[in-house]
Amino acid sequence: MSNSEINLKILKLFFNFKIKPSDFINIYKRNKDIELTADYFSNKENKNLKLFDKDKYHSAQICKNFNSIIKYLYKNNVSVFNISQKEYPELLKEIYFPPPLLFCKGSSAIKNKNLKIAIVGTRNCSDYGKEVAAYLSRQLSKIGFTIVSGMAVGIDKIAHEEAIKESGGSIGVLGTGIDIEYPYESKHLYKEIIGNGSLITEFLPGTPPLKNNFPSRNRIISGISIGVIVIEAGEKSGAIITAKSAIRENREVFAVPGNIFSDKSKGCHNLIKTGAKLTESVDDILEELANYIKNPSYAKSINFNEMANNGSFKLNYSGDNIFKHELGKKENAAVNNNEGLKNFPDEDYAKVYNCLGYKEKSLEEIMVISGLGIKKVLQIISFFQLNNIAKEKNFNNFVRGN
Amino acid sequence: MFFKLDSFSLMGIEAIKVSVEIHISNGMPSFTIVGLPDKSINEARDRVKASIINSGFKFPMKKIIINLSPADLRKEGSFYDLPIALAIIALSGQVSSDLFNYSSFIGELSLDGLINPVRGILSMTQAAVQMKKNYFFVPKGNEDEAGLIKDIAIIGCADLAECIKILKNKEEVSKFVYKSHGSGNVCSNKHRVDFSEVKGQSRAKRAMEIAASGMHNILMIGPPGSGKSMLAERAVTIMPDLNYDESIEVTKIYNLVKRRKYELIIERPFRNPHHTISESGLIGGGIYPKPGEISLAHKGILFLDEFPEFSSRLSESLRQPIENKSIVITRNNVSYKFPCSFMLILAMNPCFCGYYGDKSKRCRCSKKEVEKYWRRISGPILDRIDMQITLPRLKEEDFLENVFVENSCTIKERVSKAFTIQNKRYLNDIINHNSEAGVCYINNWINQNQDLKKVVADFSKKSRLTARGMSSLIKISRTIADLENSDEITQNHFIEAFQYKILNNI
Ligand SMILES: [Zn+2]
Repeated sequence: MSNSEINLKILKLFFNFKIKPSDFINIYKRNKDIELTADYFSNKENKNLKLFDKDKYHSAQICKNFNSIIKYLYKNNVSVFNISQKEYPELLKEIYFPPPLLFCKGSSAIKNKNLKIAIVGTRNCSDYGKEVAAYLSRQLSKIGFTIVSGMAVGIDKIAHEEAIKESGGSIGVLGTGIDIEYPYESKHLYKEIIGNGSLITEFLPGTPPLKNNFPSRNRIISGISIGVIVIEAGEKSGAIITAKSAIRENREVFAVPGNIFSDKSKGCHNLIKTGAKLTESVDDILEELANYIKNPSYAKSINFNEMANNGSFKLNYSGDNIFKHELGKKENAAVNNNEGLKNFPDEDYAKVYNCLGYKEKSLEEIMVISGLGIKKVLQIISFFQLNNIAKEKNFNNFVRGN
Repeated sequence: MFFKLDSFSLMGIEAIKVSVEIHISNGMPSFTIVGLPDKSINEARDRVKASIINSGFKFPMKKIIINLSPADLRKEGSFYDLPIALAIIALSGQVSSDLFNYSSFIGELSLDGLINPVRGILSMTQAAVQMKKNYFFVPKGNEDEAGLIKDIAIIGCADLAECIKILKNKEEVSKFVYKSHGSGNVCSNKHRVDFSEVKGQSRAKRAMEIAASGMHNILMIGPPGSGKSMLAERAVTIMPDLNYDESIEVTKIYNLVKRRKYELIIERPFRNPHHTISESGLIGGGIYPKPGEISLAHKGILFLDEFPEFSSRLSESLRQPIENKSIVITRNNVSYKFPCSFMLILAMNPCFCGYYGDKSKRCRCSKKEVEKYWRRISGPILDRIDMQITLPRLKEEDFLENVFVENSCTIKERVSKAFTIQNKRYLNDIINHNSEAGVCYINNWINQNQDLKKVVADFSKKSRLTARGMSSLIKISRTIADLENSDEITQNHFIEAFQYKILNNI
């Protein structure tokens, strides 16, 4: 059976409220075979399976009928991924209760290999919160993160808006069916995000915004991310729930401190007290994520190529590519050699690039790490500086540019 | 009775011929020197008289008139003691020799007849060669210096009596001609300091290498303790030795100021005047114009530490000499020209407190204050500084970093090669180094490489660099290319050059 046939089968199961998604996952986790699991429940259905209570989790009564759902999915280019598919986010598969099916509109962000990080916070945020959200979202996007959030107003909205301006794009996780645009204030965002990002939900099309669905939505936000940044959150806000599920799933939690007199920062401060990373800058985040970033399979995403290709670095220099000429000559070698290096005139550029981080590195350190001589390092650094890939932070010390 | 001898006077670093004319007539015994002589020449009367008598000769009791011609030339010093004394002795019939016609004479006499060395002998010797003289009689103490010039027989005399003895013995005169001891091969680094002593600061060192290769002026910005003076001092150790002609030229300049020993200067000079120096000390001047620090740095390095401390008058006065590679000082309608083709190294702190750009300590200056500090060096001088670099304060671990240390000799070899390339390039031109190249050269270089041309065109549209800044970028690129022995400037060379243009980045 093809994946789409399997998905159709599972979709039908859920639509008829014959099985609980949690039961489905339990069985799947045991046999690790999606087809087998789907068949198992289909057979059960045939054996006059008892209808369970209309689960709060999947209350899609509003849907007219199954066929109209299918029609909607086709018409609006909604992809459906089951948990066994490679398009399904790897990290999400690891959580305690991953949704068996994901509905997805605009698949670029969900499919890219970028590290995902969530930015969440209160709906009625302060100006300070807005500023922080925009700043962190922008900075993280620029270095190749994809920003995940919940499409709500306030912090969520700002995080998305900044992120979709950059190459990494953004992922909006919905607490409704994929066809519902909620809240109304985020309406324009629904259209824009699909241009450079994805909307995902586990809820069947037609599922309205139900209060009880949002906490389970939050576990997906933290589930697909390697960490959650809480910018402003009251003591019992949804952002805190997201943070808590992140803790449960062993993801990193970052909290931005705020005004001690403001209720909006109480939740963040509580998180910090209980061990979340106090976050003032991107450096703080990168420090905690050092292990992920060092991991070669992830490191690929935090990579010059992605950044430069997608034009997130505005070239100071107006010519299309300062190295066009050299590129032509070395193209063949580069392609055979290493796909990831094809934008550099030679691999020395990658070596120097890999030395650069958010912590300042002196020229001497770069020379030692890259194993290159001063002449070459200076020339490459100069090139990076001209293209805003690197900048000199203090005398003789370099960081990634932005 | 009339007699004439040839001697010299100094004008700037050049010597010009002065005729010592003597007329002795009967009459009231007197001894007059005319020809606008200066006070020290008037004093010469007494010295000459005493030394003639003390050397065992007779001083004629007649009316003696000495004329130093050309009369309108302002003459200084005691250079003419020896020719005057010789003229008196000769004209009074105590000695006769054909050699007088083929020789020039210079020297100061002391009362007992000893001949003391004078300064500027090298220039005079060159002038004597030009006058096609066969012999040049100089003080014994000057013969090593005069002997540096090969095309003339130098005769060093310890005292007046010896000088007369040689003049009398025309046949054996060759016995007395100075023979060069021959200065064997010089060791490669005669300096007390070496580049390898500078740890870390890789970029600054690279910049220094480029600057030295193309004689580019360079500004170093760094906190105290970052090793600015250390680097500057060592920059001469990576520059090629002076060639013979340059040596002579530099030595000529040095011989105009007091020195302990008059010998040929082979090493490139390094001068670092303090910011309290007077304008005439820096540029040159005085009643009898003497070369200033800028000329003493000729063919070498002029290092101005704490440059913002130099008064604007001082730094303004540098502009013309930097442009012209020489300075002209006019005194009493006479112009003295001193060469001053030097590489300028400026150093300054990054801000008032010194911590701007420091990794470990926070600068306490406001942005405005920093800008104000930087503005102190802006303007005409900065325009003439091709390269600017920053130096960080060195940390402990940098001192341990020994991996990239090269010694002066190694670097000097590369720099020498770049010099050779430039010599070839500018063979038919008056300039010597890339830093002096004009628009024609720059355009040629750009047109050599079409890719470079495009990059440069694109860049000059975008950047904030002035036309001058742009051409200095190209000049630096040219030197970088020369260091690689590359005929063309490539984009890589051009790109590296931006490292040395930090003033446009901050
Ligand atoms: Zn300061």
